[in-house]
Formats: sequence, C-alpha cells, structure tokens
Amino acid sequence: MLSRVADALFWMSRYLERAEHVARLLDVCFHSEIDLHGVISGPHELQWTALATILQLPPRMPRGDGQPHATLGRSLAFDTENPMSIISCISRARYNARSIRGTINSDIWKELNKLYWQLSDDAFCREAQQSPHEFYSAVETGSHLVQGVCDATMIHNEGWQFIQLGKYLERADKTLRILDVQYHLLHQSMDPDDLPLSNLLWAGVLRSCHAYEAYQGLYVGRVEPERVVEFLLMHPGFPRSVLFSLEVAARSLSEIEAAGGGREASKAARILGRVLNDLRYAEADQIIHGDLHGFVSSVLERCAQASSAVQLQYALR
Amino acid sequence: METTLVPHSTVPNLFSQYRLGAAFDEMFAEPGRPRSHYQTLFQRLQGIAPEEFRRRKTMTDLSMLQDGCGFTVYRQEEGIERVWPMDPVPRIVPASEWLHIETGLVQRLTALNLFLKDVYHEQKILRDGVIDARLVYEGQFFRHEFVGAKVPKDIYIHICGTDLVRDDTGNYLVLEDNGRTPSGVSYMLQNRQVLKRVFPQVFEQYDVRATDDYPAALLDVLRFIAPNRQHEPTIVLLTPGIFNSAYFEHTFLAQRMGIELVEGRDLVVDRNRVFMRTTHGLAHVDVIYRRVDDDFLDPLTFRTGSTLGVAGLVNAYRAGNVSLANSIGTGIADDKGIYPFVPDMIRYYLSEDPILDNVETFRPLVKSHLSHILANLDKLVVKTVNESGGSGMMIGPHSTAAQRAEFHDLVRARPRDYIAQPTIQLSQHPTFVDGHLEGRHVDLRPFVLCGEKITIVPGALTRVALPRGSLVVNSSQGGGSKDTWVLADDRLRQTAEPRLARI
Repeated sequence: MLSRVADALFWMSRYLERAEHVARLLDVCFHSEIDLHGVISGPHELQWTALATILQLPPRMPRGDGQPHATLGRSLAFDTENPMSIISCISRARYNARSIRGTINSDIWKELNKLYWQLSDDAFCREAQQSPHEFYSAVETGSHLVQGVCDATMIHNEGWQFIQLGKYLERADKTLRILDVQYHLLHQSMDPDDLPLSNLLWAGVLRSCHAYEAYQGLYVGRVEPERVVEFLLMHPGFPRSVLFSLEVAARSLSEIEAAGGGREASKAARILGRVLNDLRYAEADQIIHGDLHGFVSSVLERCAQASSAVQLQYALR
Repeated sequence: METTLVPHSTVPNLFSQYRLGAAFDEMFAEPGRPRSHYQTLFQRLQGIAPEEFRRRKTMTDLSMLQDGCGFTVYRQEEGIERVWPMDPVPRIVPASEWLHIETGLVQRLTALNLFLKDVYHEQKILRDGVIDARLVYEGQFFRHEFVGAKVPKDIYIHICGTDLVRDDTGNYLVLEDNGRTPSGVSYMLQNRQVLKRVFPQVFEQYDVRATDDYPAALLDVLRFIAPNRQHEPTIVLLTPGIFNSAYFEHTFLAQRMGIELVEGRDLVVDRNRVFMRTTHGLAHVDVIYRRVDDDFLDPLTFRTGSTLGVAGLVNAYRAGNVSLANSIGTGIADDKGIYPFVPDMIRYYLSEDPILDNVETFRPLVKSHLSHILANLDKLVVKTVNESGGSGMMIGPHSTAAQRAEFHDLVRARPRDYIAQPTIQLSQHPTFVDGHLEGRHVDLRPFVLCGEKITIVPGALTRVALPRGSLVVNSSQGGGSKDTWVLADDRLRQTAEPRLARI
C-alpha cells in the first residue's frame, strides 16, 4: 500500500476519533454544569478547567461576549481557527479521506462527507447553539457510522489496520488524559465525604469515555473513583479502556508488519509491547494509591513514542 | 419565431413556458409535438407537478453533494468545492443516430492516431503538403523531444472525449477533439446512478443502454498497452492531486478500476524504471493512466519547476519500461490550428469521406478567409488556437464593439494563433430552470477508447449551458450536465408493463 495512503488512513481515523471525544467532553461539561447548579453554588470552573487541560488548550482561554464557558464551548465546536475544535477535526478527517478516495469505498466517504456538510450547515449550527446536545450527538453518531461502515464493508487488510491503529492510539490517548486530569482535579477540590457530588462528577468522567452504562453493568451503587480508574485503565474487554485500545493497536501493528513479511518486531511494536506488559500485570490498588499521575504519564509518553515510530517506519511523512 | 407550446391552463405544467427558438430542439419537432423517441418522456413529464419536480431536483443536488461529485474552482488562493449541477431531464439519443456517431468517431480516431504516428516519425502528410508543416512545428503542443520515439502498439490517443454539437437542422458536427487528458466520464456514469435513484419512473418503457462497462473497458486498454511482461501489469492513475478540478473523477476511476491513485510524490524513477513508494518499500509500476498534462509530467524534460510529475518519467517511457495513456504530444492532434485539417487527414490516411463533419472553420492565414473574418466579427466565434475550456474566445453576436476591435487587431497581428467559426446555435433541450422547463443549449461528449480496437461505451456526457441564451457549456462557466441515454432500439416497447413487475 502507498505510504501516503497509509498516512491518510491513519490520520483520517485519528481525527475522527478525536472529534468524537471533543464532542463527548463538551456534552458532559454542559450537562454537569446544569447538574452542579443544584448541588453547589458559585461558579463552576471545575469541569471547564478540566476540559481545557485534557485537550491541552493554551492557558489563555478564548474570551468574548457573555460567559467564558459558552465562548469556550462555541470555539471548541465551530471555530475553524481552533485546531482542537470539532469542525477542524472533522474537516481534517475529511481532507485526509478526500486524498485517498481511490482507496476507501464510497460509503465511507459518503458518511464522512455527510457529517462534514451537516456540521458546516449554518442553520444546523444555529439550532445547535440552542440545544448543544443535538450537535454533539450528531458528531458522535456520525463518527460511529463512519467507523461502522469501515468495519462492515472494508476488507480487513493493511489499510483497515492503519485505520484501527489511528483510532485506538487516539482513544487510548484521550482516555489516559481524561483519567489523569480528572483524578487529580477531583481529588484536590472535593470533599471525599460528599458522596452525591462525588457520584455526579465521577459519573461524568465515565460518560466522557462513553463508559457509564458499561460500568454500571458491572458495579452496583454509587460510582467509586478507584473502580473507575481500574475500569478505564485495564478492563480487558471494554473497547474503550486503555488496555483494550493498546491491545488492538499492537495487534494491528503486527498485522501490518506481517503483510510486509517482516520477522523482527519494529520499534513501535516493542514500545507497545512493554506498555502492555505494565498494564496487563499491574496491581490496580498500587497504582491508584501510589503514583497514578506518574503511571499514566509514562503510558501516555510511550504511546506518543510508538505513534512517532510508526510514522517513521512507514515513512508517513 | 417563438411560440408557446402548451396553452395556458390552470393546472401547473412543467412545459407551460417552453418555447422553441432558432436552434434545433432535441425534444420537439414543432410546438407541442415531441419527436417519437421523446414521446413517452414528454407524457411522463407532463404528469409531474412542478413542485414535485423541484423536490426531485433538490434530491439530485443533495445526492451529488453527498457523493462529493464536485469540481474545484479557484478563488484567491484556496480552492473551493462546487457541485456540478445535474439537470434531471435526460437527453435521448436514438439508436440510429448513435450508430452514425459511433462509426464517425471510430473513423476519426483511427485517422488521428495515424496522424500522430506520422508526424512523430516519417511526416509524410507534411511532405505531401496536405498540412502546412509550420502549423505542426509551431503548434504549442507539438513535442519535438518526442520525434522518433516508439510508443506501445503505435497508439497515441487512448482516451478521447470528442465534443459534438448539432446545427439548426440537427446535423451532428465535431466541435473539438479532446485528445490530451479529457475529463467528464465520471459524470456520465454518476449522472445515470443519480437519475436512477431519484427518478426511476422516467426509465419506464425505455431500453437505455448501460454505461457501467466503461471502467472495465478502460482497464482493458491500459492492460493492452502494458510493456511485454509475464506478470499481470501494475497500473496506476496519476493525479495532480486533491486541488485539481477533476480530482473527483480521478478517485472515481481509480476506485472503479481497482488501481492505485498516485501523486507525483508517490512515484520515483530508478534506472529508467518507475516505482511507487509503499509501506513495504518500492513497488514496480507498468502502466500509468496519467491525468497530468505533458508540461508537468517530468521536470527533467518539460517544465522544470513542476512537482506534479516524476523526474525521469519520460526517459523510462522512451525506454519502453512504462506505458503512458495518453501518450506524450497528443495535443498536436487536437490543436485548433490542426482541427480544420482532420477531414483531409481522414481522406489522406483512410481514403474515405468523413462521416462526421467539422464545424466550418476559417483560418486567418488564408487571405480570403482573413477578409471574411474581419468583415464578419459580429457573426463569428473567434478562438485562440492554444486555449481550452472556453477562455480566450469571442462569441461575435454576444460581443461588445471594444472586444471586436481587440480581436480585429489580434487576428491581424497573429493570424496563426486564431481560427473563426460561424456561431453554431447548438441544439436546445428542455431543462429545469426556476420551477419550469426552458430550452437550454447542449453539446455531447462521447468517450472513445482506443486499445486493441476502438470502442465507445454507449453513452456520453451532455453539458448544458444554464444561463438563458448562453452557448458556453463548460463546467467552469455556469454549465450543468444531463444524463444521456443511448437507446438500444428506436422502437418503443409496446407494453406499458412496468419494469419492476418483471423482477
């Protein structure tokens, strides 16, 4: 497969997954803001600060008329100048898809293109200002559709593996950042005995990872921080956990290497292998009550290294 | 003389404002009386309320947008995407007319390929004085670098998109041979798909010949010209990239043929062999269907600054290690300065009379022609020889005095660079405009494939000039397109039994 095509598949998939995460994070923010009004008084900077940190936005938040939160929300949804915005991610996903329309099938292109035109439609965006949830769920549904069409209609060959690789590296990255930031922030700022509030905020963390219902299927009662961390980090069967994501990424990588007849594991494969070992055999308690931030940062760092190594090896730029 | 077709009534009718003019009308022989092959379509359209028709038209546009059937137009630095509007009223070509077009084009392409082989080798036609050698040597698209080079199977033009128009009596005339990198075939295929989706009823009772075979037929041609090897050739489509106006078509064709869509930066030439960069190293390439113009193909041979092509490609081609379609230097065959001589070529190489006529063309180089041109600038279309896409031309009846004065001087100063033709009205066809049907001018571009033999998939791109009275059908200048039906049999099916019932 052409290197340029592999690169475009990888990034199409990453940007799409990223857009979905941004949409979900925003949705959770708006909802918890409403919920928090009933629980604690005063400004609700907490969720928005977390959002900005997770998405690595520059320290100076965009300001404008009205409330800064609404401005940040608008910027992350519609601002084409903001590289993290949903519209930027979708349009870059589409740009990549467009450059390889000879490779992806027309249904994949059509779904992605539809999503792009829907989000670019002024009328739709005006309505979205009134009910943001509709906008976010359009992004989420659109992303699921494209991913679903890829899985259901493509030959699961090298190209599809690059799509998988992009998707799961991005997903692991976002899940790790959400965990890292939220755990730190919530621990710092919350009275541990205020159980309803804790429940509300940690449910928000789960929702940010599309994990709330899956979690509830396993555990009854209030959401407990330790279980959330364990679930999101190392549940072997939950398709959004870090362990699961990196397992799939590693498998895709080895399929790609096998397609080229290579026998030795590449640098990226070795990095991912080591991270996976850490995750597979880690004791959840030790991580949570020890240096969670240190652990998560090290996994994050090595995911980034693996991603660069893949790009170097396959001459993706 | 203009007459209203259908008497005004209270029931809204798509044809209530339809008028015939001086041009040949594709649908109507005379007011209210459709030609026999349009009879059924006419009746069906009359039964559709304008509002319903508008709804279908919107579905058509949306379908085009979602499929990404756009072309790119340039405004300032950034290319923006536009959808090329498709008009839902199909154009119908009866079987007998198609046969005439088909045999005419096969004859024409046979002659054009013989001409190209000749001018790049022995140049007999020039030595025999049939064509002035200076017209060839000074033609912008003549590739001196390529004289004497052998091309696979002696085929130069593999894909040709010839533009036909109809004069006021309905006679088909060749307006232009596009023998370099003609585009539009994807719209021919896509329009059919969209029309079947949004307007399946109009197909009832018509035996429309399928066009789907085009990608396979094109692939056959590309396989046929592959350098002699044991293995199945690796064929790629070379595109200038995402910003090219025909990018949609490149992706479409690559996908339908199941071949790799490559850009110049994906290719590399090593020891006169062409390779593409893949995730597992370099892979050998045998045939390139290139949609990059000669000028940009190889910075070592042609335009040096170009990054769209591949350094060393021309030498690899000369060495016979890779085949190109179309070949290099075909532009001299569709040069407007050479165009007037195509009928002579047909007589010279084939000893036959041309089946399809040219549009009458005046050349300022001929004294009597020059005076005729200068005296009739207000009636003629004056074209520069080296431009395409509707730019660099003046349509006399639509021109201003200042434009005529400008072209008067230009033609006198550089007679070799211009030709003039009478303003052909172009036939008109019912087209949906502002809630009803009006006559709009159309042309016809069938796509001719030259491989083991010359074939034409039974279909064509019909381009339509959307502004009232406009004769310019180019997509970049406010044109649209229509699905074009070639009928299998001119006799209509007698039963009114709908197709679906037979499935």
